[in-house]
Amino acid sequence: MTSKRLGKIVVWVRRVVQGLSLALFFWLFWAARFYDEGEPGRLIDLFFDLDPLVLAATWLAAHAVPAAALLALITLGLTLVFGRVFCGWVCPLGTIHHFATWLGHVMRRPRPKPQPYSRWQNAKYYLLVGLLIMALFGAHWIGVFDPISLLYRATATALYPAVQYAVEGGATAVYQADPHIGPLHLTAVTEPVYRFSRDHVFVTDRQVFTGGTLIGLLFAAIVVLNLYRRRFWCRYVCPLGGLLGWLSQRQMLRLVNAPNPCKECGRCAISCPAGASPEQPGQWRPSECFGCWNCVTSCDFDALAFKFASPFRALSNAKVDLGKRATLAAGAGGIAGLLLLRVGPQAQGRTYNPALIRPPGAREEREFLKRCLQCGLCMKVCPTNGLHPTGLDAGLEGLWTPKLVPRIGYCEYNCNLCGQVCPTEAIEPLAIEKKQEVKIGLATIDTTRCLPWAYGRECIVCEEHCPLSPKAIYFQTKEIQNRDGARVVVKQPYVDPDLCTGCGICEAKCVFRDRPAIRVTSANETRHPDNQPILPALEGK
Amino acid sequence: MAWQSRREFLKWTAATGSTMALAPLGIPAAEETKPLDMVIVRHKAGQGGPVEDNAAVDQMARVMVEKAIEAMGGMGRFVNKGDVVWIKPNIAWDRRPEQAANTNPVLVATLTKLCLGAGAKKVKVGDRPCNEAKKTYPRSGIEAAVREAGGEIVYLDMNRFKDYEVGGKRLRKWPLYPEIIESDLVINVPIVKHHNIPQATLCMKNYMGVAGGKRAQWHQDLATCLADITAFMKPRLSVLDATRIMTRNGPTGGSLADVKRMDTVAAGTDVVALDAFGAELLGHKPEDIKTVTAGQQAGLGQMDYRKLALREIDVT
Repeated sequence: MTSKRLGKIVVWVRRVVQGLSLALFFWLFWAARFYDEGEPGRLIDLFFDLDPLVLAATWLAAHAVPAAALLALITLGLTLVFGRVFCGWVCPLGTIHHFATWLGHVMRRPRPKPQPYSRWQNAKYYLLVGLLIMALFGAHWIGVFDPISLLYRATATALYPAVQYAVEGGATAVYQADPHIGPLHLTAVTEPVYRFSRDHVFVTDRQVFTGGTLIGLLFAAIVVLNLYRRRFWCRYVCPLGGLLGWLSQRQMLRLVNAPNPCKECGRCAISCPAGASPEQPGQWRPSECFGCWNCVTSCDFDALAFKFASPFRALSNAKVDLGKRATLAAGAGGIAGLLLLRVGPQAQGRTYNPALIRPPGAREEREFLKRCLQCGLCMKVCPTNGLHPTGLDAGLEGLWTPKLVPRIGYCEYNCNLCGQVCPTEAIEPLAIEKKQEVKIGLATIDTTRCLPWAYGRECIVCEEHCPLSPKAIYFQTKEIQNRDGARVVVKQPYVDPDLCTGCGICEAKCVFRDRPAIRVTSANETRHPDNQPILPALEGK
Repeated sequence: MAWQSRREFLKWTAATGSTMALAPLGIPAAEETKPLDMVIVRHKAGQGGPVEDNAAVDQMARVMVEKAIEAMGGMGRFVNKGDVVWIKPNIAWDRRPEQAANTNPVLVATLTKLCLGAGAKKVKVGDRPCNEAKKTYPRSGIEAAVREAGGEIVYLDMNRFKDYEVGGKRLRKWPLYPEIIESDLVINVPIVKHHNIPQATLCMKNYMGVAGGKRAQWHQDLATCLADITAFMKPRLSVLDATRIMTRNGPTGGSLADVKRMDTVAAGTDVVALDAFGAELLGHKPEDIKTVTAGQQAGLGQMDYRKLALREIDVT
């Protein structure tokens, strides 16, 4: 069999694997939700567990990883043998970039020129060095750039909500307008489709996310960049690509010019999405190569083939040449960035942001930030749509980490799903009884808005919904005089700070939707003794 | 006696007409043929047992609701062949059955079977809960029990509420759930619970579960709003679950210490009467409960339930 023919088979196998991997990623995403019985299980974290960058950064930052994260060693082993096949065959974000690149390639006229290796491809290694140095000092900013985190976050907070909004919002608009010609209603078509998609495709309720727009735009931008340079993200930016590339310097499966000599036609260079220099005999760059085999299939002279070789035989052009000064500069940049992130008062625990209500089980802020991947998995599974990506609430260091926004959704008393799914246990997997004891904040009544306090009307919807027994919200009956002089009795609510866990259902259900008259802040959160204004309750209370 | 629908009136005249026709033949006019307004069934065997004994409570709930409906004249009095019936229990809270925040699941399932037995084409069960439906439906036990009984569990779709002309004093126009409103019969099946606004949450309060929109506003004048929605819903059959009642920290509860065994089920056509009875179970005088008095004033029923055609049944 000629190399070209073998290459064609391999390329088709690769495409199938890529498709299955992408499908698996979205299926696991879809499966990450509340279940009537049991939990989604650790399997939904599979791609995070396979990600060695998550393993490395979490280990450096927190010196502890969940056992399942050791699956990433498989990826490392594969890389040592086959090179960056994770990038070329498995990574779901890589597959999206690959598809966008292919689309750009076939749609554009004239066909784009070869995009050979550029020194700028070293940028990903420098980024990796900077991020790992930051991780070493406890800033887990890996999640902003890690491809699995990035794709999960974009899917959870932007892509999926947008698609669901389009389908369900569109069908609802038709339902409400009910266009018809005589007895023929358009809803006869749209409603069955709507019900099917609601019950079997989306399954979960529609979600909204603060900041989802920006996350979606950034995702769109990195996809569009494939039109400028093929697999732009994977070549220049991806720190996981950098890590795997660095490990590929002595990969065993190597591209060689065999059996025929190279005729320097340059066709392989056009087909290479990685800038791995297949067109220069003996100059192939294993650290850049995704192992996609496009070059092998493009060669009409049977002059390219992948062959196994001993890892102890160095390749002439294999070494990732970063330069000592540049590498030092990248490390220094990481340290400088870290220091800049830490100069704010909140980063040093001098102040606490009232809006930064972390999910129950979230570790102490510094420990939390050592682990959180900003992946959005907790936000996806939250059954009330209460968890949202932060903007700058947790400082730039805590960008896109989860916070509870009680105006949108509250923390369900009998739910601990966020902790069950967190890939790095930044949110600890607490048993439900333990979770129910955790305080994430404290409710405050705004007596200038609260109806019985400010407007002399009955209400206490907050008290009605408080899930504790005895309730953390109680009331005092007050007789007041209304403007007509009549005596009216109202029940004015109070919060018992010993009991309130800050779940936020009171705020979620308050009749005021612009600024609720009862609001939860992060005060009294269990994880920060310094942020607790309330003296602990008496023993036995 | 107030006829809740023309259909019932016709059935009643047919029944009494036939008794009158038989009278000259020396057959005594059967008292039983006169349809009752309300039935109270108490299970004497279990009273005072532990609240968490689900097996015992469920078994008694089934027996009591069957007796109650039988005494009311059978489900055939309310359900016609081919009807679509909506059973509206309280499924508001993420609580287990023994916590008595939601209607007893076996009681709901038994009603489902009775409706199907009376020829209903379809029996749907659903509520607009306060916690997330995907949590409350399974945890209440109602989802599994109803499915097993052959009923259809409906998760209300927040995108499919529709504005209705309620025509009340407070509620002139309000979004309601069309699938419920368009059903041939809605059976209201609340559980007796403590609540700090009307003091007791019972039949009338249970109708909040058909409403969409910002129903939290109703608390500002709950009595009028509930009278409005009850009048719109034209109640025909309600079953009050007092197998276990929540005596404090309502309507959510959570602790078994909030729950008391009552081993009682009441059924009737008059929601005001049932609510008056439920208020008494919670230790209130019906005239102290604003929703009950507002219901009476609005002509929705009779709070002095002993004046109605009432039967009390003790099961041992």
